[in-house]
Amino acid sequence: MALETLTSEPRESRVAALLRRSERFRLGLLLFPGLFWLLLFFALPLVVVVLYSFATPGPTGRVEWHFTLANYGTLFTESLYVNAYLRSIWAGVLTTLICLLAGYPLALYIVRRPPRWRTVLLFLILIPFWTNFLVRTYAWMIILSNNGIINSIIQALGLPRVALYPSEGAVLIGLIYGNLPFMVLPIFASLDRFDFTLLEAAADLGADQTRAFLRVMLPLTMPGIAAGSVLVFIPTVGQFVVSDLLGGAKVDYLGNLLQRLFTRSNPPNWPLGSAMAIVFMAVLTVAILLYFRITTEQDR
Amino acid sequence: MLDTPTTRKPYVTGMDSRRSAGMLALGAHTILTMVFLYAPIVVLVAFSFTRDSFGVRWTGFTLDWYRRLLADQRLLGAALNTLYVALTSTIVSTIIGTMTALAMERYHFRGRTGFDALLYLPIVIPEIVMALALLAFFAFSFGILELLSGLRLQMGLGTVTIAHIAFTISFVVVVVRASLKGFDMRLEEAAQDLGANEWQTFRHITLPLILPGIIGGALLAFTLSLDDFIITFFTTGPGTSLLPVEVYGQVKRAITPKINAISTLMLLVSITLVFLSQFIQRRR
Amino acid sequence: MQRFRFLPLIMVVALVLAACGGAPAASPGNEYGSGGATPEPTAAPAATQPAQSDGLEVDRTKLSTELRFFNWTDYVDPSILEDFEKEYGVKVIVDLFDANEDMIAKVRAGRSGYDIVTPSDYAVETMWREGLLAKLDKAMLPNLKHIDPGLLDKYFDPGNVYSVPYLYGITGIAYNKQNFPDGVDSWAALFDTAQIEKYSGQFSMLDDERESPGAALKYLGYSLNETDPAALKKAQDLLIAQKPFLAAYNSSDVNRKLASGEYVIAHAWSGSAMQARSGLGDEFSGNPDIAFVIPKEGGMIWMDNMVILADSPNAYTAHVFMNFMLRPDIAARNAEYVGYLTPNKDGEQLLPQDVIALYKEGFAPNEEVLKRLEWAVRNEQTVAFTDVWTAVKGE
Repeated sequence: MALETLTSEPRESRVAALLRRSERFRLGLLLFPGLFWLLLFFALPLVVVVLYSFATPGPTGRVEWHFTLANYGTLFTESLYVNAYLRSIWAGVLTTLICLLAGYPLALYIVRRPPRWRTVLLFLILIPFWTNFLVRTYAWMIILSNNGIINSIIQALGLPRVALYPSEGAVLIGLIYGNLPFMVLPIFASLDRFDFTLLEAAADLGADQTRAFLRVMLPLTMPGIAAGSVLVFIPTVGQFVVSDLLGGAKVDYLGNLLQRLFTRSNPPNWPLGSAMAIVFMAVLTVAILLYFRITTEQDR
Repeated sequence: MLDTPTTRKPYVTGMDSRRSAGMLALGAHTILTMVFLYAPIVVLVAFSFTRDSFGVRWTGFTLDWYRRLLADQRLLGAALNTLYVALTSTIVSTIIGTMTALAMERYHFRGRTGFDALLYLPIVIPEIVMALALLAFFAFSFGILELLSGLRLQMGLGTVTIAHIAFTISFVVVVVRASLKGFDMRLEEAAQDLGANEWQTFRHITLPLILPGIIGGALLAFTLSLDDFIITFFTTGPGTSLLPVEVYGQVKRAITPKINAISTLMLLVSITLVFLSQFIQRRR
Repeated sequence: MQRFRFLPLIMVVALVLAACGGAPAASPGNEYGSGGATPEPTAAPAATQPAQSDGLEVDRTKLSTELRFFNWTDYVDPSILEDFEKEYGVKVIVDLFDANEDMIAKVRAGRSGYDIVTPSDYAVETMWREGLLAKLDKAMLPNLKHIDPGLLDKYFDPGNVYSVPYLYGITGIAYNKQNFPDGVDSWAALFDTAQIEKYSGQFSMLDDERESPGAALKYLGYSLNETDPAALKKAQDLLIAQKPFLAAYNSSDVNRKLASGEYVIAHAWSGSAMQARSGLGDEFSGNPDIAFVIPKEGGMIWMDNMVILADSPNAYTAHVFMNFMLRPDIAARNAEYVGYLTPNKDGEQLLPQDVIALYKEGFAPNEEVLKRLEWAVRNEQTVAFTDVWTAVKGE
C-alpha cells in the first residue's frame, strides 16, 4: 500500500489527504487519554490554587475571596524566605550532580549486560524503594547515629566517635539515596537506544576513549541525562521530610516553608502558600522546557 | 515473529583488554552502589527480628513482631490497600503515559508546547499543593454530582487511585520520551515497506525497542505510588487507610519493629511478583 | 511479546475501574470497614428494646451500624472500641491525622464522611466559628458530670456547646535523673548557654511554632501569648542562640530518644515524657530515670476534645459513643493506654497505683502547678509566631 502511493501519481493527493486524516485521528487517539486525565484531574483542580493565590487568608485559616496581589508582593519582598530558597537549590544541584556521577556508570554497566541480567539489575536498583520511606530513613539514622553501625566500626578500630547525624551531611546522603534510581532509569532508557558500534567507529577514526565518550556517547544520551536531572532536581528542591528526619529539623528548606504555610502554622496561610507554589512551578516549568530544548532538541 | 532488535545489544565481540578493564571498573562501581542501596535495607530487615522494642539495637532474635503483625488487621489491610492502589495506578499511568509520549515525540501539533508544560507540572508541583487542590476538587464535584443525580459519593481508594495516576503519568512520559528520542524511524518504515500494518509495526518494532523505557517508567510510577503520603492522606476517605498514612502517624509515638516487619513482607511480595513475571516472560 | 496481546484488555478494565473509582471500589482485604460507601441508614442491631447503660436511655433502633472516628494516631485504646461494638453493635472505624490543620482542611472541604473528631483547644474554636460542628445535646451526655469542672467552659468553647474534653496534657521539661541528680526547675536548663554547652547535641526542643517560642517567652518572664514585637524579638534571638547546641527540633520520637539515653533533657509533652518513663505497653520499654517538671517560670496546658461534625448523619450514635467515652472506667482505661491525662476526675481515681504515683511526681499538674500553666490562644496578633518561627528556622 505504501508502495502504491509512491507509484500511482493521480491518486496521490487523495491518498495523502486520507493519510493525513488518519494521522490526525491517530494523534488524537494517542493524545486523548493523557490530555483528558491531566485536564480533569490535574489542571482543573489547579485552577483552585491559582484562585487561592489572589485571595485573602481569613482569621481562622479559611480562604476569603477578596481579590489581592499582596501575596505575590510578600513573596518577593520577604527576606525571611531567601535562605530557604538558596539552601534548597544548593541541595538540589549537589544531589543532582552526585546522582549523575554515580548513576551514569551504573546505567552503562546495566546496559552492557545480557538482556536477562539487565532486567534483574534494574529491579535490584528499585527494590530497596519498595519498603516504606520512613522506615528506610530510620534505617539511615540507625547506621549514622552516635551509637550506630558506622560509629561502632570506627570505635572498634580505636578511633574517636564522629557526629554524623543529625547533620547536613546526613541530609545529603539521604537525598542521594532517595533519588539515585530517578537518575538511573532515564539514563538507562537512553543508553539502551545508543548504538555502541559508534564507539568502534570513533576509535577507528582515531578518537581516544575520552574523546569518543565526550563527542559521541554523551551527546547522544543527553535526553536521558536531561530527564534524569529533572527527575532528581525537582523533588529534591521541594522535599522536607529527609531534612527534618536526618537534619534534625533545624533549618527550613523550601518544602518546609510550603508545608508550614499550608498546614502547620495557625492559622494556615493558603493564599501565600499558593502564590509561593505558583511562582515555584512557573519558574521551574520554564526552566525545564528550556533545559530540554537546549540539551535534547538541537537536532531539530 | 520478528526477532527483537534488543538481542543484538551487548556488543562484546571485539573485547580488547582496555574495554574489559573498563567493564571491570564499571562492575566494581555497580557493586559499591548496590552496597550503598542495600545497607539500610539490610538494617531494616535485620531489625524486624530484633528483640529490642525500640527497633534500634540488636538484642537477640525473635519472630514476635511478625506474630503481632499478623494479628494487626488494620496494618495488613492498609498494606493491601497500598499494593492495590500502586498496581492499579501503575498499569493505567504506564499505558496512558506511553501513548502520550508517542504523541509528543512523533507529532507536531498546535498547542504542543502548552501540553508539554502541562506534562511537567505534576512533576514540579509541590505535593501538598496538588493534595489540597484535589481535595477541593473532589469535594466540590461530588457535591455537584449529588445535586444533579442524587448519587452520594465518598472519597476512598478510587479517589486515591485517580490522584496517583494523575501524578505518575508525567514520570512515565519523561522516561519513555527519553527512550523515544534517537529512535530510528527507518526501522518502522522498513517494516511497513515489508507489508506490516500499523499495529504490527508497533507491536513488533516500536514496542520492543522502547520497552526498556516503558518498564523504567512503570517502575518509577510504582515506587512513587507506594511511598506517597501527602496526596494519599488528603484524597482518602473513612475506613480506607494506606500504609504510608499509618506509618507517618506512628512516628509520633514510636516506630516499632512491626513496621520493619511489614516492610520486609511487602518487599517479599514485590520481589515474588517480579520473579513471577520474569518466569512467565521466559517461558513464553 | 505475546503477553502484550492483553494490554488493551487490561487498559480498558483499568480505565473502567478507575472511572468508576469515584465510588470507591470494594477494597481488597479491608477488614476494618466498608470501602467507604455511603453510611448505612439506621439499621437496628439485634435487640430493639431500650438498653439501660451509662445512665442513658439508648434507643437502639436509632443507632447506625457504623461510626467514623477521625483521631490522632494511637490516641484511643482499640479494646475500648471493641467493647463499644459489643455493647451497642456499632462498629467504630478509626482514621488518623497528626496535625489539627490537616484534619480541619479535610473537614472544611466538606463530605469528609466522619462523625466524631478530636481537635485541640484552639482548633475547636476555629471549627465552630466556621460552622463545621454540631451543637451537643447535653441530655444525651449524662456522664459529663464526671469531668473536672476546671477543664470545662474554656475560652475555646464557652459553655461546652460543641465539645467535651477528651484528653489533656502539659508541656515542660523532661530529663534524665542520672544526668541531673539535683533536678531541674527552670527553663534556664534549656536556654542558658553556660549550662547547655555541657550537653550540646544531646537535647531537643519541640518542633512547633507556639511551643518553642512559648518556652522562650516564659524563660524571659513573658506570657506565652505575648505578641509585643520587642518581646518576640528577644525570644527569637534566644532561640537562635540556642540552636547551635540543639540536637534537633523534635515533636515526634522524643519519648524513645529520652528512654534510650540519646537525649539527656528535652522540651516535651507530659504524655511523651510519661511514655519515656514507663514505656508503651509491650511496644516500647521505659526508663525509670526519666522525670518531668513544669519549670518555675511556667509552661503550657492544652486539651484535645471530642466534637460531632455538622454534616454527620449519625449524630445520635455519636452522642452515645461520646457518653460511653466519658464513663469513668473507660476514660481511665483510655488514659492509661494513651499516656496523656484524663479530664475525667472520677476516672482518675480508677487509675492503677503506679500511674497515680507518677502523676504525683509531676507528670500531672497539681493545684500549685496549674496556676503556672497557660493556654496558647490564637488570634489576629498571634500570626506573628509564624514569622518568628520562620526566622529561627531560616538562620
